[in-house]
Amino acid sequence: MGESIRVYAAREIVTMNPSNPSGRYVAVRDGLILGVAHDPAEFDYWGKYEIDDRFAGDVLVPGFVEAHAHSLEGLFAETPYVGYFDRLRPDGSTSPGSATLDDVVDRLQSVDAAMTDPEETLVAWGLDPIYYPGERANKTHLDRVSSTRSIFLLHASGHVATVNSALLRAQGITAETETEGVVMGEDGEPTGELQEAAAMMHAGPVVASLFTKMTAESTWWNFGRAALVGGVTTMTDLGSNLLSDPALLTTIESVVNDDRFPARVVSYAFPAALGASYQADDVVVAMQSLKSRETSKWRLGGIKLVADGSIQGWTAVLNPPGYSDGSRGIWTVTPAEMNASVPVFHAAGINVHCHCNGDAIVDAFTDAVELALRRVAWLDHRHTVQHCQLATSAQLRRMANLGMAANLFANHLWYWGDQHYEQTVGPERANRLEPAATAQREGVRFALHSDANVTPLGGLHLIWAAVNRVTPKGRVLGPEERISAYDALKAVTVDAAYQLHMDREIGSIEIGKRADFAVLSDSPLEVDPMAIRDIAVRGTMVGGVVHEAPRVA
Amino acid sequence: MSGPAGSGRGVPPLPFTVIGGFLGAGKSTLLNHLLRDAGGRRIAVVVNDFGSVNIDAELIASHDGDTIALTNGCICCSLAGAFALALPGLRDRQPPLDHVVVEASGVADPFTVGQYGTLPGFRLEGVIVLADAETIRDHAADPRLGHQVRRQLERADLVVLNKVDLVTPEAAAGVEAWLRELVPGARVVRAVDGEVPISVLLGELGGAERSPATEPAHPHPFVTATLRANAPVHRAALEALLERLPDRLLRLKGFVRLEDNRWMEVQVVGRRWRLRAAPPSDVARDRSVLVAIGSGEAVAEVASRVAALGFSHDR
Repeated sequence: MGESIRVYAAREIVTMNPSNPSGRYVAVRDGLILGVAHDPAEFDYWGKYEIDDRFAGDVLVPGFVEAHAHSLEGLFAETPYVGYFDRLRPDGSTSPGSATLDDVVDRLQSVDAAMTDPEETLVAWGLDPIYYPGERANKTHLDRVSSTRSIFLLHASGHVATVNSALLRAQGITAETETEGVVMGEDGEPTGELQEAAAMMHAGPVVASLFTKMTAESTWWNFGRAALVGGVTTMTDLGSNLLSDPALLTTIESVVNDDRFPARVVSYAFPAALGASYQADDVVVAMQSLKSRETSKWRLGGIKLVADGSIQGWTAVLNPPGYSDGSRGIWTVTPAEMNASVPVFHAAGINVHCHCNGDAIVDAFTDAVELALRRVAWLDHRHTVQHCQLATSAQLRRMANLGMAANLFANHLWYWGDQHYEQTVGPERANRLEPAATAQREGVRFALHSDANVTPLGGLHLIWAAVNRVTPKGRVLGPEERISAYDALKAVTVDAAYQLHMDREIGSIEIGKRADFAVLSDSPLEVDPMAIRDIAVRGTMVGGVVHEAPRVA
Repeated sequence: MSGPAGSGRGVPPLPFTVIGGFLGAGKSTLLNHLLRDAGGRRIAVVVNDFGSVNIDAELIASHDGDTIALTNGCICCSLAGAFALALPGLRDRQPPLDHVVVEASGVADPFTVGQYGTLPGFRLEGVIVLADAETIRDHAADPRLGHQVRRQLERADLVVLNKVDLVTPEAAAGVEAWLRELVPGARVVRAVDGEVPISVLLGELGGAERSPATEPAHPHPFVTATLRANAPVHRAALEALLERLPDRLLRLKGFVRLEDNRWMEVQVVGRRWRLRAAPPSDVARDRSVLVAIGSGEAVAEVASRVAALGFSHDR
């Protein structure tokens, strides 16, 4: 006792606690929820309290839980953005999308004009050439921005960059450069496109500085700001090298445990940080040694595996009949390796999340989990198929039988839905993309995710995408896979917490849980479904601490 | 990494070789041999995992985090994370290294890893892929991963057909024939327990200056010949030669003065040849030189063909 009780009044509170679904008042003490009621008199039980009206005009929902994001989201917070879609930035501003390549050039020209040091390289990100049919972005576009300043433009995929002639010159990239991925034009000269890591390394110090910045404190603070503007109060860093980088955890601790940092972070460790041919037993020991450093705001969630590439990169591994050209995608670990490591992690009680974009990978990971369960009967493992974009009914049934969870990449429906329908996997598989309704029918508890920075962090867009399944061209992809706004909200709150083993303490507004709320202008359950993504996030509360979202005129 | 300014102009680029191959092909064993018996070279071997390479304790001079220094001047680094960022450290290491050998993980495409060897300060010298004579055909036929296994082989400069002692001679011949059908023009070296002469893996030390050391007894007999020429060489004739080298020639390396007096570096690893301007540090010589390594027949054939370009055996 001793801590004072604060009762927050709201226009409406959506609790996601089925036994007490709504209310108008929530009582908070010492960062924990004492209860939700329609009448504050119910809180007399607890003694003296103070009513706080700051949210009286707002709707409170459980803080969104993002079970698949990357701290990389914070890296580009202050970097000019030239993507196709409007993008909400961590400072609360919105960077407008670029409808054409000319718009990209315009935007970069204004960035260039605002730079004072002529020697400084202009770095921008977010270019998505799939949206600009016709001429491929190349050095000549960027030369219109500057013929003297080096320009490095990272694509949305993160796998490709386009640079200008000044950068090619400064870094000595010429017709003689041998590296595969340094694209040469018909004239035999570099076009300015650098594909994949080795080719991008030619761009020189600018690339190294991006790597260095990846784990900097400023990146982590911006990751938190991105969570705040998206209403996210708990997020994963789903794939961290912390097992081999002790300094990284020190950075995370100093930022995340700060009261001003507006989110809880759950790190999932890449076992390959210990080497591509790591011993699973060594990973278990390394994981266990970090457990003591957990706090209420930082958790070591488990292991992250990555088993294939992406659908839009044609590297997600598909079962037959594969892609239209007969290719099948690229494995990044083998089924044998998964069968060797997953049972070891499982036996040690470690939750495993595996990146499985293609359906063939879903089979392989599920095989490994089944093997683990034959050996050790840990029934509450909640091993999760991450992305799970193309899973079939049969796969989801099997996952349900084995106690597995799914995390569906709902934002893909909007950001690449048309491309999947027209180009990558064709209509039938595009229509079952992110099979939320099938998962529900087959009894798999699922979450929805952004994979930030691949798409922006934020619960509302995920709900919107899963409820409407519309594409930029106006298709409704697989109307049978649409789910209700309630079920979608559940998927970005309590069911996302479930797969992180955190639903006991977060994910609903319920007595005994942590006081983590998203403060919204309207209820996603009340507005027109197509307007869900337009609801304003006014701020969040994390463990009783209020964080106001920045307002930008 | 730093740009060309930091790539040490005037310092010859550091040779870079990739060792790849599917899980179980014997990469770690081969790398262990390489570190143990480096033939006087200072090699940096970049591995996925120290444990699997299992370096003999008496060879270890010091162990500092990601790097094990050996008493013979070699180092072994485990660089799981930011591999690319660690490359400048290898390039700038003092005393300088003679060669960087990078292990590609079992499912990685070794050719893609090799692209790091084309960055400033490095020189890609070969993509070598190991294949387990006993299992490679099964792996290549695997309905799930077979396409990736085949791609590794298709993009290799040189294939080491390992563990040939575990199969009958007929089976070994069968696998080799299958490999040559899968990869037209494949260059195949047979090996037992990952034992491959270092001159075949990494070429001759010091840019073809030294006579090769005597090679140990080996299931595949190799011959080395050093050939020199006084007169300048006609470029088109040289390229025609490089286009049609015998299948059993494994390496050809040297420096050649062209008719326009430019010095070119010739490098053949397996089925891939490169002809590029020689680094300035390597042109202070009076005669063109080529060192050929391969089967006796192949080396003899090369010797007779370069005789037409003015080369004769080093006496």
